[in-house]
Amino acid sequence: MLTVGTLTSAELRARLAGDGLVLRTGPFTNLIRSDVPHLIDTVALMYADYPVEPGGGFADFHLDYRRSRGLRRWFRSQVHFAYDGSTPFQPLPLAQAYPMLEWTMNWCVTHRAHGYLIIHAAVLEKHGRGIILPAPPGSGKSTLTAALLGHGWRLLSDEMTLVRPDDGMLVPVPRPVSLKNASIDVIRGFRPDAVLSRPVEETTKGTIAHVKAPRDSILRAGEPVPPACVVFPRYEAGAGLALTPLPKARAFMELADNCFNYQVLGARGFAALGQLIDTSDAYTFRYSSLPDAMDLFERLALGTA
Amino acid sequence: MWRLTPGQALVCREWDGEAVLYNDLSGSTHLLDGAALDVLYALRDEPADAAQLAIRLADRFDAGGDDLVAALGDMLYALAGLDLIESC
Repeated sequence: MLTVGTLTSAELRARLAGDGLVLRTGPFTNLIRSDVPHLIDTVALMYADYPVEPGGGFADFHLDYRRSRGLRRWFRSQVHFAYDGSTPFQPLPLAQAYPMLEWTMNWCVTHRAHGYLIIHAAVLEKHGRGIILPAPPGSGKSTLTAALLGHGWRLLSDEMTLVRPDDGMLVPVPRPVSLKNASIDVIRGFRPDAVLSRPVEETTKGTIAHVKAPRDSILRAGEPVPPACVVFPRYEAGAGLALTPLPKARAFMELADNCFNYQVLGARGFAALGQLIDTSDAYTFRYSSLPDAMDLFERLALGTA
Repeated sequence: MWRLTPGQALVCREWDGEAVLYNDLSGSTHLLDGAALDVLYALRDEPADAAQLAIRLADRFDAGGDDLVAALGDMLYALAGLDLIESC
């Protein structure tokens, strides 16, 4: 299988500068073009294990990242994003090209992939049990996700839980895990093995770095998982560990609020979410200690929590 | 008198005495308690006012008499506010 890592640096640059690199991420193909050198280097690092599809065929998303031209090329240079030839977002400082790639790849899925019910949630699997972690920013969801990846969990996604409406299965779309601010050093300390992208400062979300997805998760991106638990995490400094059952109807409403396209899908979304809640236990989860959280999630994976 | 809003399909799921209902006329989803669902089912069968519902649903609620009629009256106005029922 051709992967980004099997391409030489020159081949990767040539594809990105030419007809495009067709990158497969789970069920999607992304045709990416760019002339931003450090973006190309970061893609080479973070996407080394991802399949590369032949050019010339269909691609779900056409993504273009170009450096400013004219005077802007030399003074406060920016990166300009185009999607299928349109420019839905303002340019960002050139240093933010890689976070922009991640954000816009997410945006493509959440705004286009309406064949799935899409929940704003991380989703992981261990022992065949899919665990969904919906949470607003600042809840510690991504920190928890990055930590669990060092404890045998498989990453389906850090940002988007794709629910297949026909059978309720969770479809993987494993991509790098986004960390913000203090979480970056927390994960560096907790998982010295983790591969992180270079931190980018002064983004709208503060300092951002991404954790490379485990190779095994990428290789198994074609294996959907049945849902087993929905866990709403909340990091609270100094708090003891607390896993509290959440009534299912309330979990349904919370999940609906966390969906990107629940309203778009209408009755189909209601049915898909109802099926997911039927087959899942729901909890709120408060934590401050990552080692304690790892132990508790092991019990969730075994169905003994 | 109150009736179910014409065309309302009462697409819902119930767990542990609470329900979620997809309002297929508005596209909204509502969190309801089981009692509200009982009232909606009763009005789907036949239009009624609070006093008639109190008699029909007496065996399903702990309260009775004037208290139940008053509670049902409040619930009916709340359900009307969600466009699930209408006066007739």
